[in-house]
Amino acid sequence: MATLTVESRGAIVRVAGFAVTLGYGALIVWLYSIQPQTVAEVTGSLSSTVGAYHVDAQATSDALAFFRRDAFPEARMAFERADPAHRDARTQFYIAYTYYRQGWGRLYSDDALFQKGIEAVDRAIALAPDHRLLVDDPDLGMHSAEELKAELERGVTREASDFNPLKVFRARK
Amino acid sequence: MTATREAIVLPAAFLTVTLLGGLRLAPAIRLVPPPLVSLVLALMLMVCLVRAGVFVPQATVSAERSNLENLSGLTVLLTLFAASAQIFTLITPEQGLLHAVFAICFFIQLTTTLAGVKGRRDMLRSLAVLLGSAFVVRFVVLEGLYAPDGNLAKRVFTAIVEGASLGSVQYEPTGAGTGYVAFVTLALFFVGLILLPRGGPRGYLRPHTVQDLKVSTQS
Repeated sequence: MATLTVESRGAIVRVAGFAVTLGYGALIVWLYSIQPQTVAEVTGSLSSTVGAYHVDAQATSDALAFFRRDAFPEARMAFERADPAHRDARTQFYIAYTYYRQGWGRLYSDDALFQKGIEAVDRAIALAPDHRLLVDDPDLGMHSAEELKAELERGVTREASDFNPLKVFRARK
Repeated sequence: MTATREAIVLPAAFLTVTLLGGLRLAPAIRLVPPPLVSLVLALMLMVCLVRAGVFVPQATVSAERSNLENLSGLTVLLTLFAASAQIFTLITPEQGLLHAVFAICFFIQLTTTLAGVKGRRDMLRSLAVLLGSAFVVRFVVLEGLYAPDGNLAKRVFTAIVEGASLGSVQYEPTGAGTGYVAFVTLALFFVGLILLPRGGPRGYLRPHTVQDLKVSTQS
């Protein structure tokens, strides 16, 4: 068996080291760009990159049942269980919708909940193919991410129409 | 310097510093990218390291080395710069007046170091004092003062400071865990600096070069 010279051994080490460094550097840039909040988000993002990420169907079903009963915090917990890595656009849309419905009020809306809703719908838009998301659910008053985002943004914006007394007759979507 | 140290150990150490330097564990997990001032300070630090002989560029990238050796050397150079930038990001508060004060202090201190400190050992000592002091101020003093579970006296003190400075002195605590990570990151950065090639035109002698040397000595 041919033995490696010191020079060729050094060359192999350098090539391997460069490959490892390149991979490690790319991983760091990727982590800084996706800004994961949990380990689940890291693993979920990695799985979705290779197309192996799946939403938990049972948890989604539980979450939708809670959502239809207006149990929004429970629905969010179940949606989080279904999509722990925040990689599914449809689930993020529903999470944003829970914030909208929970925060909606006849006289005023809850700014903190609406703000979280905007964050969730932004995630949904970013994840959707071509940033276009339509949810065909007859229980919802708004079916596109754009409608939901605009409604949430209207809720946190102060304008003259906020003082229109007829606003109390508007319906929750 | 061995090929393993140059191609694997140093880049891995500096990239780990780059990764951990931006990690904040509270109030939520975040990875903070380097602000512009960190890049400027990192550049100044690199100049200080070169002038003091802590880092000798000719030992990592030169015409006498092969392309592959130069590639390894360039990797060390780039990862050292990235790690230096993230070290300053780590020990500088992220916003408000404290951010500016820390940045100005680092700038002045590095300028002084650039002008006055000669020699590898002195430079490493000076750097240990600078970065160590900043670590203590940020992760021991400021974190202690602004900890969310601090007592009434601490809260009164910080409220007075914020009030007197018209709200410009603000600090967001990053949690005790971040302090421990910062300690390990700083230690790893210094280990990396100590392992940098000390000098000489070549970081790695190849066998035929040694033979050439023998031949030239005999003749």
